Amino acid sequence: MKELRFRIILILGAIALSFYLLYPTYQDIQFTKKMDKTLAEKRKEFKVADPTISNSALDTKIQLLSDSLKSANPAIAKARSKRIKLGLDLQGGMRVVLEVSTGKLLQKIAKNPDAVFKQVMKESEKEASLSDESVVDIVAGKLEKRNIRLSRYFGNIRQSDSQIIKEMKKDAEDAVSRAIEIIRNRVDQYGVSEPTIQRQGERRIIVELPGVARVEEAKQLLQGTALLEFKMLKSPQFAISVMKKIDDVLAGDTLSLSTAAVAKNKKSEKTTKTDTTQNQQLTAAEFAKKHPFFSIAIIDPNSKSADAYVKADEKDRLKLLLSRPDVQKVIPPNTQFLFSAKPIGKQNGQEIYVLYCVDKTPQLTGGVITNAQATIDPQTNSPIVTMEMNSEGATEWARITGANIGKRSAIVLDGVVYSAPVIQGKIPGGRSEINGMANLEEAQLLAIVLKAGALPAPVDIIEERTVGPSLGQDSINDGFRSVLLGYILVGLFMIFYYRRAGMIAAVSLILTILYIMGVLAGFGATLTLPGIAGIILTIGMAVDANVLIYERIREELATGKTIKASVDSGFSKANSAIIDSNITTFITGIILYQFGTGPVQGFALTLMIGIAASLFSALVMVKVVFNYMVIKGIKITIG
Amino acid sequence: MRLFENLTINWLGKRKFFYILSTSLFVIGWVSVAVRGFHFGIDFKGGTEIVLEFQKPVNISQIRGYVANIGLGAVELKTFGSKTGVLVRTELQKIPPKIYPKVVKNINNAIEKIYPSLNYSIVDSSKLSSVTYALSNHDTTNALINKLYKAGFQTGKVSEELSNKQMIVSVSIAEWIKDNLKQKLKDNPFKVVKEDHVGPKVGKELERDAIIAVFLSLLAILIYLAFRFKFIFAFGAVLALFHDTLITLGLYAVLYGVIPGLNLEINLTVVAAFLTLIGYSINDTVIVFDRVREMMKIHKTMPLLEVINLSVNKTMSRTLLTGGTTLLTVTVLLIFGGEVLRAFAFTLFFGIIIGTYSSIFVASAIVLEYANKTKKKVQF
Repeated sequence: MKELRFRIILILGAIALSFYLLYPTYQDIQFTKKMDKTLAEKRKEFKVADPTISNSALDTKIQLLSDSLKSANPAIAKARSKRIKLGLDLQGGMRVVLEVSTGKLLQKIAKNPDAVFKQVMKESEKEASLSDESVVDIVAGKLEKRNIRLSRYFGNIRQSDSQIIKEMKKDAEDAVSRAIEIIRNRVDQYGVSEPTIQRQGERRIIVELPGVARVEEAKQLLQGTALLEFKMLKSPQFAISVMKKIDDVLAGDTLSLSTAAVAKNKKSEKTTKTDTTQNQQLTAAEFAKKHPFFSIAIIDPNSKSADAYVKADEKDRLKLLLSRPDVQKVIPPNTQFLFSAKPIGKQNGQEIYVLYCVDKTPQLTGGVITNAQATIDPQTNSPIVTMEMNSEGATEWARITGANIGKRSAIVLDGVVYSAPVIQGKIPGGRSEINGMANLEEAQLLAIVLKAGALPAPVDIIEERTVGPSLGQDSINDGFRSVLLGYILVGLFMIFYYRRAGMIAAVSLILTILYIMGVLAGFGATLTLPGIAGIILTIGMAVDANVLIYERIREELATGKTIKASVDSGFSKANSAIIDSNITTFITGIILYQFGTGPVQGFALTLMIGIAASLFSALVMVKVVFNYMVIKGIKITIG
Repeated sequence: MRLFENLTINWLGKRKFFYILSTSLFVIGWVSVAVRGFHFGIDFKGGTEIVLEFQKPVNISQIRGYVANIGLGAVELKTFGSKTGVLVRTELQKIPPKIYPKVVKNINNAIEKIYPSLNYSIVDSSKLSSVTYALSNHDTTNALINKLYKAGFQTGKVSEELSNKQMIVSVSIAEWIKDNLKQKLKDNPFKVVKEDHVGPKVGKELERDAIIAVFLSLLAILIYLAFRFKFIFAFGAVLALFHDTLITLGLYAVLYGVIPGLNLEINLTVVAAFLTLIGYSINDTVIVFDRVREMMKIHKTMPLLEVINLSVNKTMSRTLLTGGTTLLTVTVLLIFGGEVLRAFAFTLFFGIIIGTYSSIFVASAIVLEYANKTKKKVQF
């Protein structure tokens, strides 16, 4: 028994771990069921309360309710993030492959393009749409054939063609990073749950948006040009007074609303300070009740700024609160709240975002920026971003910076703040330097963002697939019915053919399926329809190892060996066949994963996990059971 | 229960017969390929594919008649899944310029229906894939976007700005087909459950990737087996794999369009099935070879033919049992797995049979022929 102990613990551990990993998936299904039920009931209620309500108004109401229910219970989001992810073919949604159009970019950066250039571009784009060669090379080749130097249109006269080609390629490369950043930002704001944005090859971007049915709207989101704006931050006093008003409205305290409104800025700042000291005596729950806004948007009382810090999972709730009509009413004109694009740090494992209070009207939009670059300042050794503007922008910028020295200007791309530097002094020539970035990556991101306003990266959709939710649900049902039926048939067959040993195989088979699902959930892998097919196929192929072992044991028994000796040599002789044959299948799985896309990758993944799981089942689990039976003297019947 | 035990069949003695069988299967298949060619799905060909789900069963030839003369050229129609599903496919990427104004007119009519005598103008009709409208104010724009979407059009805002007054409406092949069918089939409403567009360049690349994937896996298997066994074993095994893939591919050409409800066209999932077939078939071959390797060590003086026969007989029980259980699950998939997986399941169904056959009559036979020809003794 002792020699089996370790393996038994291992097996029990694997089973427990699989259940643990699958628990969020179970929870998620339960939550979804409950939510659907509540929403359906509420829908009826709303309809009874207001029979004249239009369908679209009802939809928005239900949507708001569902959002608030979701954000009220963090367990829902947690379960969702840890469940087995479903591929687009199972839950519906759209998958788009975008290609950054280098041709359009070149047309944009070309100097004084003439008819010849347009002709060259037209030919090049046509050629590029069918070949793998980069557009830059094609254009360079075509210009060379016509005996035109590249510097006629790109770079400057002193540069050689090869230098210019290098620069053009870098521009093309930059355009892809810009496009990805813009798309990521927008998708985040659009509120798609679990989107994937992936770069593929040189200039492709794969975007997967689960559950999205409004195809044109989503396409618009992915392809539209970016809007870069410079907006002044409100003064801390003003911002805090606005936040206080919001806090009061949310707390339902209308009385203090009027007092807060008359209160002078300075005074209101004082109140918050005293408030925060008082707050220390309040429990968290009491504070949350009294100050619903400040309990989510936390202000550092010792800071000079009015930047509020918001936990990632409370961002949506705060957005919802801010969009309430009664809250909107107390927000003064030309004032708006914007979130930071990226978390500024982590606290207790939670990402923290910043909420800024800014002017609604921008001082300047991004079209005026001609260039932006991230570098390391040689004097301070810290990363900086330099940006240049055209003459028109420079004049405006000089006026703005001159009038706002010491204030902060937010750099806003598509409605989120990427940076909010302090204006140090008047900038006359448009050439500005932004510092304060933590590292070079952050500086590079900011440079990408600054250029996004000026040089939109034109993207073309080259592949687009949409699956409606009903087809996905049908596929899930069909798939799982097949899994169940396949299992029952194979299990019955094994029991029929091998009797008690078959029973062991049938039980180990169900554990194999459990392991596959557990590993899928644990790795955050995506289950696709071909993935389900992979599981079904695994059911058929997983018994192979059992069959090999059982047949060997039978052969050994036939030579007159004892049960114990037959079991031992049966397992050891079947080993090499099992390992060799499974490794070759595994190899094809790896290759399939490398070359496949989307659903096919899902298949390759379940196939590989299935092989590993079935090997574990046969070589560890079934072996332990056999050894145990031999030790205990339980009769082993193999057919 | 025991079947196939203590078999003493001289499998390899009958190999000439199986050579003829394999060759004829191959020839029939590839003559068919030469004559009929392969049918590629849009994954490789590029184009547009739409799946419509009707409320009531539809008559496919009736619908075929409806979409035949709507200016899209050759449109393929098939049933999809049950009797209520229809798959429409065309190689076109974008709507023909001639049709474009007609679709725009339909959209105009729909707007007219929602808001009679609404003031709007078309600001961009240069792209064949969409049309952009400008309206008088922001709220109307939003309301119209929602209402048109509910009416079955794909609509979107041009920008997220609060001052946005422009609306973009998708003009696609799907839109045009929907418009036409909606008028013809007024009593049988439908919705679009799946819509795919694949550009021609992507198709070409996917095709190249698929071919690379298949060859790379054959090469990887060759290397692994040469390492674990002898090179001639690896060679035989890989040749058997070529045999399996080529005959199954030939079958695709033979059976295309023959069996109703079975849509045998080559798409990405089918390529995955082919790679799985390779995986399964090699699995089978390795089991036999493993036994041959073992038997050669035990019976050092036995002629190779007998060693192989003995090994095949000894593993026959396992071969048939595993083949049987896998076939069982694949059959379940074939019948209950739904339309998307049908071709996949079919490939595996046939592939398992041919893969099992080839491990004995192709892979082992090649090892034997090689040994006979070179008069060398294969040893481990």
